[in-house]
Amino acid sequence: MDAPMHWPAPMPGTAATPDRSTDPAFVADATVEVAQVSVWFGAKVALSELSCSFGPGVTGLLGPNGAGKTTLMRAMVGLVDVNQGAVRVDGRDPRRDRSVHERMALVPEDEAVPGGLTARRFVQYVADLHRVTDRSAVDRVLHEVGLVDAADRRVDGFSKGMRQRTKVAAALVTDPTVLVLDEPLNGADPVQRQHLIALFKQLGARGCTVVVSSHVLNEVERMAERVIVLMHGRLAAAGGQRAIRDALDDRPRHVLVRADQPRRLAAALVGLDSVAGITFDAGRNALVVQTLQARDVATALPRLAREASIRLFEVRALDDSLESLFRELVR
Amino acid sequence: MTAPTAQRPRSRFVAILRYTLQSCLPPKRWAAILLPCVGAILFGLLSRAVGSSADRAFANVAAEGIFGLAVPIAALVIGDSVLGAEVRAGTFHFTWLSPAPTWQIVLGRWLGGSVVALVTIAPTCALAALVAGSPSSAGPAFVAAAAGSISYVALFIAIGCITRRTAVWSLAVVFLVERLLGAALTGIAQLSPTWESRAAFVGMLDDAPSRLVREGIPQGASAIGRLAIVTLVALVVAHWRMRRMQLSGASD
Repeated sequence: MDAPMHWPAPMPGTAATPDRSTDPAFVADATVEVAQVSVWFGAKVALSELSCSFGPGVTGLLGPNGAGKTTLMRAMVGLVDVNQGAVRVDGRDPRRDRSVHERMALVPEDEAVPGGLTARRFVQYVADLHRVTDRSAVDRVLHEVGLVDAADRRVDGFSKGMRQRTKVAAALVTDPTVLVLDEPLNGADPVQRQHLIALFKQLGARGCTVVVSSHVLNEVERMAERVIVLMHGRLAAAGGQRAIRDALDDRPRHVLVRADQPRRLAAALVGLDSVAGITFDAGRNALVVQTLQARDVATALPRLAREASIRLFEVRALDDSLESLFRELVR
Repeated sequence: MTAPTAQRPRSRFVAILRYTLQSCLPPKRWAAILLPCVGAILFGLLSRAVGSSADRAFANVAAEGIFGLAVPIAALVIGDSVLGAEVRAGTFHFTWLSPAPTWQIVLGRWLGGSVVALVTIAPTCALAALVAGSPSSAGPAFVAAAAGSISYVALFIAIGCITRRTAVWSLAVVFLVERLLGAALTGIAQLSPTWESRAAFVGMLDDAPSRLVREGIPQGASAIGRLAIVTLVALVVAHWRMRRMQLSGASD
């Protein structure tokens, strides 16, 4: 069942102490807690008074480029120090207590991998650092990410997708209870994406806290039952992914329609209940239809055009990009 | 499905050491290390052209060329490879994000770098003495180069823990602090691997030119003791700073 939406984040100075039992930014059985965290690099504010928590299961971290997803993930694992606030993993500070890393792993977004090592040796190195006693663990995780055949090839010769999978294997070999994945599907082919998504969901179902970031809404929808949306380093929304999708659907959408007789088409479209308004874009010689039900418009449009003998040249949603959806979220 | 085969876990320290030797020094880095080593041998050849006894000629050339130039540069490449280059590339995360204590990481990296220095820089300096026709200087050259380069590796690892621009800062330390300030101020020279390794070399020679003996700087074994202290301090600083490192990605 979807949790209620948190939307939008209160402005600084007006923020009331969140009621964690009802606020969808928080979970009851939190393993990772982020409390009023701010991180800045020089004049650039990467995170601003962010509070949320993560618990067992897959949580998607969604946001456009530069939203602060990577910084939040690095702060969660202790790679960057927070300037204000606190991050706690199982009640411990990941910057101060290195024992946190025993059961916590990060798959960074960077393509960089250690040179000169085969995939097997690299995963074995990480296993040794974590004092993994199960000698079959390396082969098992390489099998899980589909790299058995390439296990003895050097990692620096791998494609981007293979490198990502090698890093996922290195993370899995530590048998983490908290797994932080920064854009883990980058470069993976469709079959591997499917495979990795299933793997992450499986880990979440087993009780692992999986935090996965992406700027692709559909990817997150497929693997995360809970979503945290960041925008400009702030919490823009949190809750079940369906709640977020529904909330987005309630926002007006703009559809660009180019046809040979735009005025006649506009007259026909005005009669539709789903159309909230129509403007004529002279620059593009097209109509811009404002609607709350884009799907209804898409269904009705060909029928109307056929009945009025109008030729349609182009029908395109103007605000279907994730960035524009985020803009709607924080408006 | 095979049942998990539980065994005694492998040593983290050994894993870090092995990783340092296998991964941190790709072929290009080896070439960059060997270049100043070749330079050291050329300095040995050059000393043959100096018109004095072979021992004295090599001592003069080695003090300036080998200990002042070849050893620091080769050690800089090694020191940068075992930490700084990894931090810049964004691959140090894989080591840092582990429960391995930072002292093990620092020691493993330093030991790995020291092993490389011991098999490259030190024998090359001894070889340079042989090429120069001064076999009696080979032993002192080996020992002094080994002690100096090991100390340098620790120093450059410490710099790698403090800044991402390891190579630039290391060069600044070698040429501005050690060479420039160290030449004028004995206090700085006493803490400088360049001056101390040179003093170790000169102190171990049977017939060292008097102009190479610098007042206020320990010579011979005492200089090696001083280098050990510099190494220890650098490793402590590296350990302290590594715990506080801010590791952003390669693209940041």
